[in-house]
Amino acid sequence: MESSTAVPVKELKKQRRSEVWRQIKRNRLIYLMILPGIIYFLIYKYLPMYGLIISFLDYKPYRGIMGSEWVGLEHFQRLFTSSEFWMIFKNTLVLFGLQIFVYFPIPIIISLMLNEVRHSLFKRGVQTLIYIPHFMSWVVIVSISYVMLTLDGGIVNELLDYFGIGKINFLLNEDWFRPMYILQVIWREAGWGTIIFLAAITAVDPQLYEAARMDGANRFRQMWHITIPAIRNVIIVLLILKIGDVLELGFEHVYLLLNSSNRDVAEIFDTYVYVAGLQQGQFSYSTAVGFFKGIVGLIMVVFANWLAKKFNEEGIY
Amino acid sequence: MSSWKKLLGAMALLCLVLFAVACGNNESASEDSEENTNNNEENGGEESGESSEPYSFEIMANLHTPEVPEETILEEIESKTNTDIEIQWVPDNNYEDRLNTAFATSSLPQAVFLKNQSTFIQFRDAIQDEQFWEIGPYLDQFENLSKLKENVLDNTRVNDKLYTLYQGRPLSRQGLIYRKDWADNLGLEAPTNTEEFMEMARAFTEDDPDGNGEDDTFGLTDRSDLIYGAFKTVSSWFGTPNYWGEKDGQLQPEFMFDEYKQTMDFFKEMHENGYINQDFPVTSKVDQQEFIKNGTAGMYVGSMGDVGSLYNDAAEINPDVEYDVHNNIAGPDGEFGVWAIPGYGNLVMFPKSSVETEEDLLKILEFFDQMMTPEVINTAYWGIEGEHYEVKEDRALPIGEQATRDREVKPYQALEVGEPETNGRYEGFFDYAPKAKSEELFKDNENYLIEDPTIPLYSETYVSDGERLQQIITDATYNYILGEIDEEGFDAAVEEWRSEGGDAIIEEYNASE
Repeated sequence: MESSTAVPVKELKKQRRSEVWRQIKRNRLIYLMILPGIIYFLIYKYLPMYGLIISFLDYKPYRGIMGSEWVGLEHFQRLFTSSEFWMIFKNTLVLFGLQIFVYFPIPIIISLMLNEVRHSLFKRGVQTLIYIPHFMSWVVIVSISYVMLTLDGGIVNELLDYFGIGKINFLLNEDWFRPMYILQVIWREAGWGTIIFLAAITAVDPQLYEAARMDGANRFRQMWHITIPAIRNVIIVLLILKIGDVLELGFEHVYLLLNSSNRDVAEIFDTYVYVAGLQQGQFSYSTAVGFFKGIVGLIMVVFANWLAKKFNEEGIY
Repeated sequence: MSSWKKLLGAMALLCLVLFAVACGNNESASEDSEENTNNNEENGGEESGESSEPYSFEIMANLHTPEVPEETILEEIESKTNTDIEIQWVPDNNYEDRLNTAFATSSLPQAVFLKNQSTFIQFRDAIQDEQFWEIGPYLDQFENLSKLKENVLDNTRVNDKLYTLYQGRPLSRQGLIYRKDWADNLGLEAPTNTEEFMEMARAFTEDDPDGNGEDDTFGLTDRSDLIYGAFKTVSSWFGTPNYWGEKDGQLQPEFMFDEYKQTMDFFKEMHENGYINQDFPVTSKVDQQEFIKNGTAGMYVGSMGDVGSLYNDAAEINPDVEYDVHNNIAGPDGEFGVWAIPGYGNLVMFPKSSVETEEDLLKILEFFDQMMTPEVINTAYWGIEGEHYEVKEDRALPIGEQATRDREVKPYQALEVGEPETNGRYEGFFDYAPKAKSEELFKDNENYLIEDPTIPLYSETYVSDGERLQQIITDATYNYILGEIDEEGFDAAVEEWRSEGGDAIIEEYNASE
């Protein structure tokens, strides 16, 4: 039985292959069009992965990749056994959780609210105002916060003091780091984040609303049964993309907020890689840390996508 | 917040890198052609080649001003030394990053300044691996380079070989700058010991030193820097060793000494009582200086030479402001001491990857040899006579706008090699008495120096992990001062330092002694 089917299977494969080739030949112009994209990804995304090799080497720049000593998993061992590892891992996940659970819903809520505004000038005005902060750099935002929050004459503490609440050490207290982080993220990004949701909302067929009104649905019901289901796909796709950025928590932002007193809650993979790699010249070790971070990110995306499909949503691939 | 300054630097750097990459290509192309012409000339006849073609090469140096300088001074230097120099200015805040990145991508230029002692230690590995030219054997050929001080050169040797030229600095410039007028108002003298220092900080905070009837002043202004801020200097008043010291017949790091803890308690007391800016662990140097310039704080511990620039700015806000400088502040044991640097501020070295032949090396060394003649170094350091400075009593008196000098001259001070004694540079002449006094006190400090015993020693663990480990101690020190951890917590941090590699450092230093 087995031997008799083996030949046809082989032939079938061959046939299928030539079928594929014929398809490609027929659509060669279309394939030609994606070629630049493929080349781009090969050169800028896949080729540099060659550099990941240095995380398995005792890399010395002057000896090159070929000349450096192979140390296997030593750098990973050092990372996983380091006392800082769990702290950094936890901090990264906590900030990620804040991004997903606190920050992510806010642009959706804002866009739903804006959608209900009927006065178009007011709506557009608000929209523009709330996305302006997106164009400010973190340096500016963190500096402004510093000036407002410092104990030495910062306006917030002066006010707190004036009202008899007493000064609060925002900058040097580790309990305040996370609220400060996420508030700054929301302030800067929430308005910008509404753009895509608003665009999705405008694409909803007005007939649906009319029909709902005929059936006596009020504003809230319309939103709940029409607007939200209509943009659900967009929400899921953006959520998955957001999870893909899991470990892109904004190096700049966190690095600027980091200081001696909040390091226990503020040190994340990005800042650790920067200090170890670029400032202290431990190229191999910091590559290993970055590599690990990348793997965690990959797992997260695959998981989120799987989850989305599980709930009969579309996912990103 | 020192980190946001760093980041600001990072952005400037990015622009600079892009820019450097963009022109780098042209540069190397023109260099190649230049080399070719040089070669041709040498084939034709060596004597004529020397005088006609300026030798062209690149230098990477620290930029201490916000902007890249104008090139007038550089052109002057080039014409005097018959060179064609391209300087890669890198903001000082980001120097380590850029240095490491350039090294990793083998794009270091022909002459590279290193920034300081700790970057030098970081590069030790590469130096031992012969990635840089050993220059010791060549120095004797040069009239001026051979004048460099032997004891300072010794501090920069790696395995008894010399790879770098040093930029001299006074051994210790640390001391106290304070508001003389405030002290006079309150009937205080310059503090002679740490107790009186604390009393001055208290009085400046609580006794209304500016007499405006409001509680709007405090004593000491400090910043997020345990070394060049106030902490290390105060710690040496208490008698703490300079990074490392001998205890029980063994070298141990400073933070394992009682004096270090006393210093922390001293700062903790100041912090608790509000004698020091409450957010000093996140205060930048600019903000720190602003407090004393605008009359909020009355004491500043750091380089006493800063009194000049502090006064310039402060006098614009309040023309009646009076500062004074002071160095001799004794600890509880009645002894005054002050930590010393190893006699150099910066070092310059020559990568083999970019300086390809001995001939090139000699040409570059020749440039630095010429930099050590009074004519060239005074141009680089003070500018053009009559325009940026004039000579008064055999010293240089800066003239004209400070902003102009900052833009045109100051950055080139980073190219100095040696010190006035060896390169014949004019010392500064200062109208402002406290500034002149600070120069005197630098010399006085030399009688009380606390040296770092590990300078000639080597520890492999320190090179690879020292900085990361130091972070543990730095964090713990701040947290202790802020009252976030107690003595037990600090001891735990020291314990962590030891177990994560500190013990190995102690062992290696003691073994190499």
